[in-house]
Amino acid sequence: MKRLAGLTLIACAALHAATPDFAGRVRFTIDAYAHPKSTAPLGYANIAAKLKLHEDPALCSRRLEELLAAGPTGDMFWMFPVTAIAYLDQGQLTESARGALSRAWRTYMPYRGDTENHWLLYYTSMYLMAQLWPDRAGAEWFNGKSSRENREEAESWINGWVKLTTTRGQGEYDSPHYMGLYLLSMSYLAEWAHDPAMKKRAGMMLDYLIADYAAESLDGVFVGAHSRVYDHPALEKWNNVSSDFGWVWFGQGYPMSPPDNYVLFYTVASAYQPPEVLRLIATDRDRPYTHYERKRTRNRWRFFDDLHGPVYKTTYMRREYAVSSDQGGTLQPIQEHSWDVTWHVPDPRGVENTLFTLHPYSSLHELQTYFTFPPDQGIAEVVSSKKSYDSPDKFVGGSPYEEIFQNEDTVIVLYDIPEGTRFPHINGFFSKDLAEVREDPSGWIFARGGDALIACHPLQPYTWKPIEGGGRRLFSPYLRNGMVVQVAARSEFPDMDAFRRAILGLKLEYRLSPAPHVRMVSLRGRTLEFTYGETPRVNGVALDYAHWPLFGGPFVRADVDSERLEMRHGNLRRTLDFHTLTVADSPLR
Amino acid sequence: MRWLLLLALLPYPARAQFTLYACMVTSKGYVVGAKLPPSGIFFKTPAGEWRHAGFNHPFINALDYDPRDPSVLYVAAGNGLIRVSGGGERWRILTGSDVTELQDVAVDPNSGDIYFTHTQGIRVSRDGGATWSDASAGLHSKYTQAIRVDRRRKGVLIAGNEEGIFRSENGGQSWKLAGAAGYQVLHVEQSTHDACFWMAGTQGGGLFTSTDCGATFESSGDLGVGRNVADIAFDPTAQKRVAVAGWGIGIAVSDDGGKTWEERNAGLPSTRVWSVAFDPTHPGRMYASVHEEALYISQDYGHTWRKDGLEGSRVWRMRFVPEVKR
Repeated sequence: MKRLAGLTLIACAALHAATPDFAGRVRFTIDAYAHPKSTAPLGYANIAAKLKLHEDPALCSRRLEELLAAGPTGDMFWMFPVTAIAYLDQGQLTESARGALSRAWRTYMPYRGDTENHWLLYYTSMYLMAQLWPDRAGAEWFNGKSSRENREEAESWINGWVKLTTTRGQGEYDSPHYMGLYLLSMSYLAEWAHDPAMKKRAGMMLDYLIADYAAESLDGVFVGAHSRVYDHPALEKWNNVSSDFGWVWFGQGYPMSPPDNYVLFYTVASAYQPPEVLRLIATDRDRPYTHYERKRTRNRWRFFDDLHGPVYKTTYMRREYAVSSDQGGTLQPIQEHSWDVTWHVPDPRGVENTLFTLHPYSSLHELQTYFTFPPDQGIAEVVSSKKSYDSPDKFVGGSPYEEIFQNEDTVIVLYDIPEGTRFPHINGFFSKDLAEVREDPSGWIFARGGDALIACHPLQPYTWKPIEGGGRRLFSPYLRNGMVVQVAARSEFPDMDAFRRAILGLKLEYRLSPAPHVRMVSLRGRTLEFTYGETPRVNGVALDYAHWPLFGGPFVRADVDSERLEMRHGNLRRTLDFHTLTVADSPLR
Repeated sequence: MRWLLLLALLPYPARAQFTLYACMVTSKGYVVGAKLPPSGIFFKTPAGEWRHAGFNHPFINALDYDPRDPSVLYVAAGNGLIRVSGGGERWRILTGSDVTELQDVAVDPNSGDIYFTHTQGIRVSRDGGATWSDASAGLHSKYTQAIRVDRRRKGVLIAGNEEGIFRSENGGQSWKLAGAAGYQVLHVEQSTHDACFWMAGTQGGGLFTSTDCGATFESSGDLGVGRNVADIAFDPTAQKRVAVAGWGIGIAVSDDGGKTWEERNAGLPSTRVWSVAFDPTHPGRMYASVHEEALYISQDYGHTWRKDGLEGSRVWRMRFVPEVKR
């Protein structure tokens, strides 16, 4: 066993040693697109990478013309690659190719979309293209507006987005996939905006967004809860765009193969290297900590008085694992991921290193809250691109009948599903990569994920259903239901049995009527009390949602409405002030 | 002034020729990220062919025009309110980043004021689209699906949102609930013959009608109850004829002003119908958009149908626009 551990350490050390420095990681990313292994014709990302390296301008020009002749497609997902190409051109493209690119902005009308990332991509691209062609009349743009009008509109929206984000949080928060689009947008503006204020603001937003990730990353894996995540990447948590960024920024984990083009477009623009304080926040897991965030829901067009509702996040982080949650409910119409346990593994590729439960909810009401679909097509419209939305066995999505309470590494999840609800059951994801799984007569399920010891107590009977590809789905078909989860580090106990005894020694009381209720003492000695529909209590004191910070914890701090963010580690401190557009690096004494 | 009065009294100019426009998306077989098949605004040529006008666009919901200059169309689109001119080829987005996913548009024929509905209420422009102001003061729920202007009186509006049908007498400065309380209203329409007769379609609640110029709306029978009424069309050539379209309804036609209905779906491939229109210059001719099948045409008031083009489409709205003689 000792020998095996030693070999593992050597292997990890070798991998670590093989990780190139930041410049090398940027170069690796660009190379992946500039010199693709595939023999497929070059796409926009390949052209951008080659132009960045000043390679093959004739080929890039020819291929760009071919792509544009075939007809632009993808709306804002077309806009951002061609914007990068326009800026990376720097005299490399032929006049003919440049003309084709220019004409496309008159002849193709991209849809602005309906999502926060869509709008940021749209307006970032409009801002930069209007800056590139400052004197064009309306007739030369697809939307009939002059360059000045387009630039002013884009600038106004981008500034509004920054203000909203730094006062009330992102709506499409902490998405391990879509985060790349925010980062590439800010990377573009930080590199290519001429206006010093816009350039500065974008550079500061890069720190802001990276800080948002850094405090919730576990060796390059972005832990939940997430506003949006795709089905399989919710299980194999490494398999997300966030892994590309974590690797490029901090050398942690592994990039995807090849890296997603979001990180490519980040690197061909500013390729911003985070400051040391962010590197330390992302990598230091010497001491466990709890990190809080406040975000906001997606725009709620219907059924609510307020356009955005608050999202309260809690993340407990330590070297061996992370536990993260929001308060439950439908905070997003699709792809919401409300809580999970994520355990550390040396190489997360192919590993489903997570555990969580959910109520598989889908409804027209939910979709009409957030979308403008006509009623008869709403669900079908979503299912056309998000296949699992209306599936009873899905593993992503929020539910209005799920409430979550987390204190450190204890999570209590309660469900109160009305009769007649589509899919009247809960699903629990139990990974193929869990070890030492034991269903105890006490009602607890014990398991080990890496060096995380996990105890789960379903509040109702359940059965197991196999998952294609491995693992098991806990299926519990009861309307009033719940799950209590307590996690601990392997190092805290001599063995699994000692952990089991400790858990069985905890005081746990629960009832399901008239509403689900749990009262327990956690492994950390806190008395936790949670009744469905009521504010949770810790040691008798109700959680103070009214004063939940925008960011709170040892490393990242910001007050709601402050437009300020403080990052700190050791004696390093960086403060962003978006009101004054200043960055202060002031060491802590 | 006299011609203005005439316009106000008549839904369509006498003996005018019209062009049929369709606001549509070709969605059959389309997946997000793929190249969008021709979508946006189509119009029917005198030869009977459908022709794409202007840009390819996935989100064009409705259009209207000012009768004083029908060569200019005002289009409710995902990107904003678009002014379309030059035979459909010149587009200019008249709005900015403060509105999105427009649902409906109506031009006041008495003033030229342009109203549109969007995800957060109603906007109006009183200067041809140069500037916009909010016209949804007092509405509790802002998401508004439908709007029409009473063609007889400037600034008298009927709008439908998630809480019912609302009426304004002052260009949207204040609103009063007129009916269908608690229902998401999908469409409102004023009769082309009797300006005091209105009809509204709802999500789940069926049809509501008003006989007092839109002051109050009452539930009107069982048609569409439990289903969604997507469109309503009054026949300009027959005083009492009205048609509705909806999912599970298909096309239903009433020849007595909505008192009784007959479903007329023979020849339609399904009853999932988004929109319906009467041709003002060809009595008996109707159009119906069947979900991701095609646009269908009938020459006998919907008793029989045949395919007319726009295959694979969903046509959200059809509008007959007077032809401009230059």
